[in-house]
Amino acid sequence: MALTKSDLLEHLADHARDDLSEVTEETELFSTGLIDSFAMIDLLLFLEKHTGAKLGPEDMRVDNLDTIGQILKFVESRRKG
Amino acid sequence: MSGSASASAKPQGVVILGAPRSGTTLLRRLIGAHSRIACPPETYALSAAARFLHEESFAEGLRIGVLLGLSYAGFSEEEVLSRLRGFVFSFFEEHAAREGKPRWAEKTAFNAFHLPAIRKLCGDEVRYVCIQRHGLDVILSLEELVKKTGGYVQELHDYLRRYPEPYEAFAQAWIDCAGAIQALIDGDERALGLRYEELVADPEQALRRILEHIGEPWEEGLVERALGEAKSVGFGDWKTYAKPTIDRASVERWRKLPRATLRRLADRCNPTLARLGYDEVTVAEPESDADARRRYELGLLLNKMRADKERARAAAEEKS
Repeated sequence: MALTKSDLLEHLADHARDDLSEVTEETELFSTGLIDSFAMIDLLLFLEKHTGAKLGPEDMRVDNLDTIGQILKFVESRRKG
Repeated sequence: MSGSASASAKPQGVVILGAPRSGTTLLRRLIGAHSRIACPPETYALSAAARFLHEESFAEGLRIGVLLGLSYAGFSEEEVLSRLRGFVFSFFEEHAAREGKPRWAEKTAFNAFHLPAIRKLCGDEVRYVCIQRHGLDVILSLEELVKKTGGYVQELHDYLRRYPEPYEAFAQAWIDCAGAIQALIDGDERALGLRYEELVADPEQALRRILEHIGEPWEEGLVERALGEAKSVGFGDWKTYAKPTIDRASVERWRKLPRATLRRLADRCNPTLARLGYDEVTVAEPESDADARRRYELGLLLNKMRADKERARAAAEEKS
């Protein structure tokens, strides 16, 4: 099942400490501290469960996982792969 | 009314109490905006006096300290307390007089750690306004305070020596402060209890209750005046002064804590939360061992990702 932007925003809203209502597809989330390490790990677990694939060191790059747009693109590439 | 300003020759002082990070500075701003009450920034005068009264227990029930020590020199406990009270209150009274106001209020967040001695010192001569806040929000806010200040005040450091995990240390500090304050609220009619969550939801209603308790009239526009006031530079919460309005953004932030942390804090804090009238914190089913292990592994990968990014940034800076 494809991961939608609203699925992702709903997950982040449930786990981030700060208000994410103003976040766009380009907003940097982790590198700016908008979501902290705890929320980021929750997000990674969520992505693994959603895609059914384990994340490896090669996947763990800021340019894969820092914005909504990057995350959706990354998940889509994992689905195709 | 026993607490009214007119009931005694000298108007009673007001002592604001709450565990640190419970909204005491916001309360101070609101009360201090009243035309008859002066409330300086944190003075630390009461906690300093409490330290003066500090006692150690030795032998069988013998309490070694200034009160017993001076009693052997011919000064009764009441006389020592009265002199100390006069000394400490004189600063509050003089500050109020300078402000052109007949009454004083005192708020220093860390007073909550010295409640027994402060009660002994103040005797019957003050009214208390006590604020309680959900313990897990207090813990989160204490964590932010420590990050911001880069250190621990003595009162918190004492807890960290006993509880090496900071969240648990902050939790126990809150439990002790909130418990002592609740005992005051439950057992002393001079004490009014209110909740932070009620204060931010309806500041006017909360302030009306406070003024009724301390025997002062409501003043129209008091909340707006309090928030517009920016002259009181001094010790206290830095965040509240950045806000021109009161909002509920700082309520229930604890719900975003990781599940494992919530579970640990819930076990420790639930009895006190229930005593204060809050719902106990319930946490969904425990994480499986496999998920906990994977969470740990992802944490390590995340650290590596952060380090890679830092290296890349440093290299780019060096290049430019």
